[in-house]
Amino acid sequence: MTTPSTIHTQGLTKHYGAVEALTDLSLDVLPGEVFGFLGPNGAGKTTTIRTLLDEIRPTSGSASILGMDCRRESVAIRRRIGYVPGDLTMYPSLTGRDTLTYFANLRGGVDWGYVDELAERLDADLAKKIGDLSSGNRQKVGLIQAFMNRPDLLIMDEPSSGLDPLVQREFQTMLREVTAEGRAVFLSSHTLSEVQRVADRVGIIRHGLLIALESVTELRSKAIRQVRFEFGAPVDAAVFSGVPGVRSVDVDDGRMVLSFDGKMAALLTIAEQHDVLDVTTEEADLEEIFLAYYREEAVTD
Amino acid sequence: MLATVTTKTVRDRWLGSLVGATVLALFLWLGMAIYQQIDISMYTSMPELFLSLMHIPENADVGSLAYGAIYASYGGLTLASLALALGSAAIAGEERNGTIGLLLANPKGRTSVLVGKATAMVALAGFGALILGAAAVIVPSATGVSITGMHPGALVFHIFVNAVFYGFLALAIGAWTGRAALASGVTAGVMILSWIAASLFPALTGLEDLAKAFPWYYYDAGLPVFNGVDWGRLAVLLGGIVVFAAVAVIGVNRRDLRSQSVGTTLVDRLRDNPSTKKLADRLAGSARVSRIWIKTVSEHQGLVIVVGYVMFLLMGVAMGPLYGLMDEAVVQYADQLPETMMAMFGGGDMSTAEGFFQVETFSMIAPIAITVVTVVMAARGLAGEEARRTMGLLLANPVPRSRIVLEKSLAMVVNAALVGFATFAGVAIGSVIGGLGMSIANIAAVSLLVTLLGLVFGGLALALSAGTGRTGISVYVTSGVALSLYLVNSFVPLNDDLAGWARWSPFYYYLGGDPLKTGMQWGHGALFVGLFLGLVGLSVVLFQRRDLRQVG
Repeated sequence: MTTPSTIHTQGLTKHYGAVEALTDLSLDVLPGEVFGFLGPNGAGKTTTIRTLLDEIRPTSGSASILGMDCRRESVAIRRRIGYVPGDLTMYPSLTGRDTLTYFANLRGGVDWGYVDELAERLDADLAKKIGDLSSGNRQKVGLIQAFMNRPDLLIMDEPSSGLDPLVQREFQTMLREVTAEGRAVFLSSHTLSEVQRVADRVGIIRHGLLIALESVTELRSKAIRQVRFEFGAPVDAAVFSGVPGVRSVDVDDGRMVLSFDGKMAALLTIAEQHDVLDVTTEEADLEEIFLAYYREEAVTD
Repeated sequence: MLATVTTKTVRDRWLGSLVGATVLALFLWLGMAIYQQIDISMYTSMPELFLSLMHIPENADVGSLAYGAIYASYGGLTLASLALALGSAAIAGEERNGTIGLLLANPKGRTSVLVGKATAMVALAGFGALILGAAAVIVPSATGVSITGMHPGALVFHIFVNAVFYGFLALAIGAWTGRAALASGVTAGVMILSWIAASLFPALTGLEDLAKAFPWYYYDAGLPVFNGVDWGRLAVLLGGIVVFAAVAVIGVNRRDLRSQSVGTTLVDRLRDNPSTKKLADRLAGSARVSRIWIKTVSEHQGLVIVVGYVMFLLMGVAMGPLYGLMDEAVVQYADQLPETMMAMFGGGDMSTAEGFFQVETFSMIAPIAITVVTVVMAARGLAGEEARRTMGLLLANPVPRSRIVLEKSLAMVVNAALVGFATFAGVAIGSVIGGLGMSIANIAAVSLLVTLLGLVFGGLALALSAGTGRTGISVYVTSGVALSLYLVNSFVPLNDDLAGWARWSPFYYYLGGDPLKTGMQWGHGALFVGLFLGLVGLSVVLFQRRDLRQVG
């Protein structure tokens, strides 16, 4: 690998007594990418994040961020990251601005012009006390505190929870700006929709084990799509059943619906030989793949 | 639903009752064992003020002396404190935690939730009383102390009703206003004031009847340990309970529930007003959050102001003129007091102004005041931030854990010093107003020593907070240890063979050198500083080593 990883973990393991919260996690997050970390509730996502932040210490294995050891050089690491915890809680009696001032004082070097710009983009009210804000508006303050020092790595646990769709869209734009500048984002979530739109790669974790590590494009190509053809004349189903990736074929007169997870080119080549009037294809349903990963009982290496 | 609200509350809160009642039971045993071996005839001729302060009946024998000095005074205060903590947490506490909405989303009315909470409070006070009651029967037979003609059960029943009274007062204030801190603060103030007033006024010629204006009078004035249950006086407390219960029911049903919303303070209004905005912003905003320790100091300003005010005005300034009003008999009596007796009152010799202040202000109230501030800050500072889930965010900043512990300790020192200074200023002014001529330097010395003593317990609470991440352990264990050490220093010296054990209690190094008379004991001060620094160092180590807790 030519570029050094932003996050690098090697055999990271955390046990709580007999409970194996995280087992042998090895992954790399690269500069300039959004890494989606997916898994059902209780899979070990938060345990991973807390280990990266030195809130808890690994039973074995190691982790480094920006080339520094998560355990020994934690303070230096934290100077260069931004963090939004899941289930964000802040100090209820402080206003948003007081909260940001507090963290800015602990960090040093925060550009208040940028803070105001972020507040405007997210439509955040910084004059109100945290305790008087709705959870979505509180989340905005949490996002600003993570973005405000332009960190080299953003670690976020369910960051868009409570945000309305317009703000979510703005937040996604902000994430893209971060990666465009070569900075990295580690985005943990249990819902695919939160990750799918922004992530370049995803890792799927279940029962503390990393069970998949793929690019979103790859994942998408694996997805079963429904492809509909309309032909000028009825076509025999057998024509398509031999094409790699075709799972099933339904024929209704000139209409044909295929469940398909292969390369489109092969399918289109055959279709061209008949009188194709129209072809439509639905967006790849990652959700199904994703759910399949969640459901699998046994995990094999 | 009713049963679950009750059982859940009992399950969450039983530890306090258990620790408090068990410590008291152990000291009943220690008290009876020691009183048996000393000449207690000195108590029979004591002036009324001593007797009423410590709830010692006249003509006391070993049994009634132990019941009075340990159960009626400390027991009454401890169980009432536990009940008021439960009462204030009941409705207002759930509002503060933001859980009331979820609780009331269940198909039950506010009244039934209130009843469930009140039942739990009464049950826990009853649980504590049961332990006290069991010990009251077992200890005399185990130590061979005769309790013929005494009614320890009646005394424990009075302790129980008294506790429930303050529990309901706190419940009513909390239910009416939705403010937990207000409920516990006001109730604790009423309790301490009425305890002191009910003890002091009977000793002041011409003012005896004023005691009847305070609820504490109706708790013990009928001497239930001798006379059995005093239904006449208890009826006043029970009547109060009924009134408070009604106020609570009306209060919780009449108003909008508070969300976690924090309310509007005077400073908030000043910040909204354009003409004062700039100054208020500096005070409340940027300055307040400029450092971890400054923010921590400001978070506890309400507690410090209330405690400082009580110490300054009530336990300081007001005590000066009060001394002049004291019964002549108290002054004349002083020379006859044996040394062992004085130890029990923190070495106070009531014939002098210094002795009077030592008994009234410094022996018990001042250590409690400062320890409450330091222990609350220690528990909330580390374990509290974990429990409220803000520690993760705080530690996402480039701040080592050691700095967090050190800044929280610094904040504790600052607030303890503020209360210590308020005490010093109050007593010094009281001395001047009353023309008592006490040495200002000595008042400063004892105020400094009590501040340092409070910091030692704060340090212990900090180490527990840092090591376990649990506020309950930090508060209850420290309170238990502090109460035990106080009692060790008060009772052990009564027996010559055991007197040396008092040196294991920090209270010995607080008033043992009689600093109000002899001035600063630098060695003792240095010992406290060393203990405090050692405990802070231990806290740093413990906090750095462990995994942060994940709550919720």
